[in-house]
Amino acid sequence: MSEKKLAYHPGCPSATTAIEQDMSTKAVFEKLGIELAEMEDWNCCGAAEAEDPILVYALNARNLAIAEKDGLDIVTPCSICYYNLARTDKALREDEGLRAKMSEIDDSLNYKGTIKARHILDVLVNGIGMDELSGKIEKKVNVKVAPYYGCYIGRPGETAFDDPDDPDLMDKLIELIGGENVQFSSMKTKCCGGPLMMTREDIAFEMARKVLESAKNAGADCIALACPLCGMMLDAKQPDMEKKLKITIEMPVVYITQLLGLALGIDSNKLGFNKNIVSTKEILGKVI
Amino acid sequence: MIKTWELDLNFRNEILNEPGGAHLSACFQCSTCTIGCPIAEIVPSYNPRKIIQMSLLGMREEVLSNPDLWICAICQTCTARCPQDVRISDLLAAIRRIAEKDAEAGKLKIDSVRPLFEKAFLHQLEKYGRLFDMGLAMEFYKGKEGGSFIKGQLAMMKDFKDFGMRMFKKGKMGPKAMFPEKVKKTEEIKKIFEKVEGK
Repeated sequence: MSEKKLAYHPGCPSATTAIEQDMSTKAVFEKLGIELAEMEDWNCCGAAEAEDPILVYALNARNLAIAEKDGLDIVTPCSICYYNLARTDKALREDEGLRAKMSEIDDSLNYKGTIKARHILDVLVNGIGMDELSGKIEKKVNVKVAPYYGCYIGRPGETAFDDPDDPDLMDKLIELIGGENVQFSSMKTKCCGGPLMMTREDIAFEMARKVLESAKNAGADCIALACPLCGMMLDAKQPDMEKKLKITIEMPVVYITQLLGLALGIDSNKLGFNKNIVSTKEILGKVI
Repeated sequence: MIKTWELDLNFRNEILNEPGGAHLSACFQCSTCTIGCPIAEIVPSYNPRKIIQMSLLGMREEVLSNPDLWICAICQTCTARCPQDVRISDLLAAIRRIAEKDAEAGKLKIDSVRPLFEKAFLHQLEKYGRLFDMGLAMEFYKGKEGGSFIKGQLAMMKDFKDFGMRMFKKGKMGPKAMFPEKVKKTEEIKKIFEKVEGK
């Protein structure tokens, strides 16, 4: 990849609930020699809760404008941040009237459309690329993985960077690190229920249960993810789900950057493996 | 039976004028949205195709009072698959906003707690520019318990006791999670909310 420096939009859960994703993202990019410069004064993208598109555009025009000033593309580890940043970029590029409307709200929303917003998964596989990554692999991570993509990686079409029905960017990384992808295609892109966690826990738990049990039935040692809300739902809430639904799942859930980091020879504590809720000890035992 | 004399023929325009509602009339009722919907798999009554049809017909009251309006997970599966480029997730959000306006005007009662949650979320965002989980939960639970702070905190502790302890032990809910992380230029965020939401 030609860019050696990217503007990093960590997203709101990066210092708390998804700290292991933040740690492993930083560690992996450092190892790959690409500087992640945290964006000065970034703001929340509005997540799934800002439902008015104009509000989403305004919030993200501010973020895009901040990175544009430094002439850097934005990279984010969160699928929802990615979706909101990317759809705002697209809408503002295509609609001069909308750009004017943003500037009218405040000068800080004055975005010209000269940079891109990307998801870390996209940067790793399509930006840096498999050739460059393969030259840096130091260890074999001999795990069976259920690669779980969730919602905003393969859809909607306007911002997607992978296939909507059978995405494979994570599959490729798992193969690269010496892991095995289990049969999981039918669940890869099914929503984890995260957005309904606080308002309809019953539905959210049922959605998450399907994902977790499919991974278990497919013989996976762990699920790999690329979104902090999926992490919250599938990992942090897993014990609550087990209690409520009276089932045992015990499925480790890790971020793809954590697995990749192990293969790059990075220390597991630096990758936040002691932060995942469901124990990851067995995974660490499979690094050769 | 549809009471044709009670239809609100302007309802479709109301939706079309709402941001996100613009593609409503392209729907030709193929049901692709509903067949692939992960919510419909779990909740048998859930049918976005039907909500769109009723909206096009002008069944305003029935649409706005339908409890299923509030259980979309915004996963975008329907939007990605729609052959007519109807942005169903955005469209349902537009209809929800119309319902919320009616509720604020005292014309509609919404049983779902989702509007409370979204309001509490945006409120955190407006104040700090970033999400403050703890503040969100406190405000949301207060709202759920009819505005009582004490009752809200008790209900929150009951629901989140195990979760909170689990996160605390992993260092995910330490001192950093107890205080909001703020953007420096909060005035820029305030301006966005003032101008977009008319506050």
